[in-house]
Amino acid sequence: MTATQPRPSDQPRHSLRTDVLEARPVNLDGFVEEWPEKGLVAMESAFDPAPSVRVEDGRIVELDGRQRADFDFMDTFIADHAIDVASAEESNALPSAEIARMLIDPRASRDDVLAVTRGLTPAKVLDVLKLMNVVEIMQGMQKMRARRTPANQAHSTSARDNPVQVAADAAEGALRGFAELETTLGVLRYAPLVAIALQVGAQVGRGGVLTQCALEEATELELGMRGITAYAETISIYGTESVFIDGDDTPWSKAFLASAYASRGIKMRFTSGTGSEVQMGNAEGKSMLYLEIRCILMAKGAGVQGLQNGSISCIGVPGAVPGGLRAVAAENLVASMMDLECASGNDQSFSHSAMRRTARMMPQLLPGTDFVCSGYSAVPNADNMFAGSNFDTEDYDDWNTIQRDFQVDGGLRHVREDEILLARSKAARALQALFAYLDLPAVTDDEVEAATYANSSADYPFRDVLADLKGAQAVMDRGITGLDIVKGLESAGFHDVAENLLTVLRQRVSGDLLQTSAVLTADFTPLSAINDPNDYAGPGTGYRLEGERWAELKKLRHVTSATDPESEVR
Amino acid sequence: MSASLDTGLTRGDYPLSVNRPELLRTPTGKPITALTMDAVVSGELSAEDLRIAPETLELQAQLADASNRPQLAMNFRRAAEMCAIPDAEVLGMYNALRPRASTAAGLAALADRLETTWSAPVCAGLVREAAEVYARRDLLARAGAEDGEDTP
Repeated sequence: MTATQPRPSDQPRHSLRTDVLEARPVNLDGFVEEWPEKGLVAMESAFDPAPSVRVEDGRIVELDGRQRADFDFMDTFIADHAIDVASAEESNALPSAEIARMLIDPRASRDDVLAVTRGLTPAKVLDVLKLMNVVEIMQGMQKMRARRTPANQAHSTSARDNPVQVAADAAEGALRGFAELETTLGVLRYAPLVAIALQVGAQVGRGGVLTQCALEEATELELGMRGITAYAETISIYGTESVFIDGDDTPWSKAFLASAYASRGIKMRFTSGTGSEVQMGNAEGKSMLYLEIRCILMAKGAGVQGLQNGSISCIGVPGAVPGGLRAVAAENLVASMMDLECASGNDQSFSHSAMRRTARMMPQLLPGTDFVCSGYSAVPNADNMFAGSNFDTEDYDDWNTIQRDFQVDGGLRHVREDEILLARSKAARALQALFAYLDLPAVTDDEVEAATYANSSADYPFRDVLADLKGAQAVMDRGITGLDIVKGLESAGFHDVAENLLTVLRQRVSGDLLQTSAVLTADFTPLSAINDPNDYAGPGTGYRLEGERWAELKKLRHVTSATDPESEVR
Repeated sequence: MSASLDTGLTRGDYPLSVNRPELLRTPTGKPITALTMDAVVSGELSAEDLRIAPETLELQAQLADASNRPQLAMNFRRAAEMCAIPDAEVLGMYNALRPRASTAAGLAALADRLETTWSAPVCAGLVREAAEVYARRDLLARAGAEDGEDTP
């Protein structure tokens, strides 16, 4: 013991500035050192194979250093289905730097690039991407995005699986501009009621918005087959054979499933993302981006029109390693340069830092992607049953302001409250009438009132969950289809909503939504990479935010009038 | 669909629902223009009328070919073959293709059924290819275990 008060010996004195920095939200995020041997590395690993390809008798017999006899099933599927054999040797012989330059050179058209990329091996694609910094990746995305007009997608879910909430929030989301709406459940048995609510709400908000319900493969397909949902997305694929098998699938089972969806006229995309293999414990010592490139090529080989990627639910993994978000931007670009629709992530909470959350989406928002978010939360994050998104309803005004600041189209717009309240109320009333028609558990007037003005699930009266679950089961047992929903809405006097839904259902007879990057415009015109191909060819070309759409995006909640500074523009 | 329709479709024909509605029929033979609200209300339409016809998938495959997307076109051609197969059987076939869910004989029988019962040679080819790869990668079920455990 000494006479003076000892400083705790293991705690050196910190500066007040350090205390401030320690308290910043970003320091609640997890960061980890790279561990390439375990695949915990974004895109620069000495363990990734070197590119190579050899063709004999019209067949790829060597792929990225592996001989055909040693191919795992990913190699086999990619070699036999994804890579254009006729151009493979020639394309892979091009210097990677030349291919990388083509991606950013406006004088090379999207088709020029595709003529090369369709023959590339996974390791060659990686070799190209490794040369590109994040700005170059964005330049590439601007040109390679399949659909000329960018769009956005939202999650509409409820912590209580409350169908009334889902209908109202779907209507608001559709009105604000989302082209696709996705739901999922806390209690899976609720799915039929919530999927119906999502469909009704979407068609109230804006006719032609497409909806889906994320469930395990078989149930998701069944709801689609019945016309209760319009598309599907949660068809997961993985970059190593071992993880693919852990997911209880193979490239052949997933390719078969892709055709099953198309055979019912249902739009579908696969889902994959960097970090999933290392998170599932078997990255086979390869970098996250290399494995994701294998997924992207597998998806292309299956003939699926598109892919949801950008790490998705594994974003915490690339988010924790150096260069991780560069790799995430790169994987979106690879999907686009393989001529697939890209729903580009930004759909899962990954950071406590508002600054980091915003930075994370810039490589998708600024160049534009087919769907900037593949799940912006159109409900408060506490109601997001996908475990929270990178953005939610509290961020609507920020998002709209950022679009206006940079003159970029992120798919949303500011909508006046009176319009929103009308849509929310109408969605709840339409659901009320439909449930009555279908003899499903009643939606009360109190619930309609709550839905009109609510923010979150906590603002609604409790529903009788047991009765709802019985009702949900009845939907399945009685074989209720999209057509029954149309009939119910029509007979209850919601003619416009019924007509909107019938038009969406009619689309599956035409198959137009099966083509790459297809969405339905407000006048129900299918817009895809065929009739709206990305024609970017340098400054002044391609999609430009201008005219009516730009006028719409100049509006915010509060904009001061130039002629009368005391008033605001409406 | 082996019977290819010589329609000479080009990218300009897309979207078919807008530019070539006369080519579109339901599996029940109705023109797409018959799918009206009046027909819904009068009960003339069933869920079967809101499905895609194999001929339409062939048209979309031609558009995919014309857009330089051969894999997508192949997917549509497999889909065209699957239109007639009932939902439950399609799901059963998908499950049979999961890892270690089927024996070599099981997959061979599935391929034969696709080819003979459903006139689905392209789908049958996919199943035979899977069987070959599964054998090489130890992804077949052991004989006798077919109806038992289905996952590793």
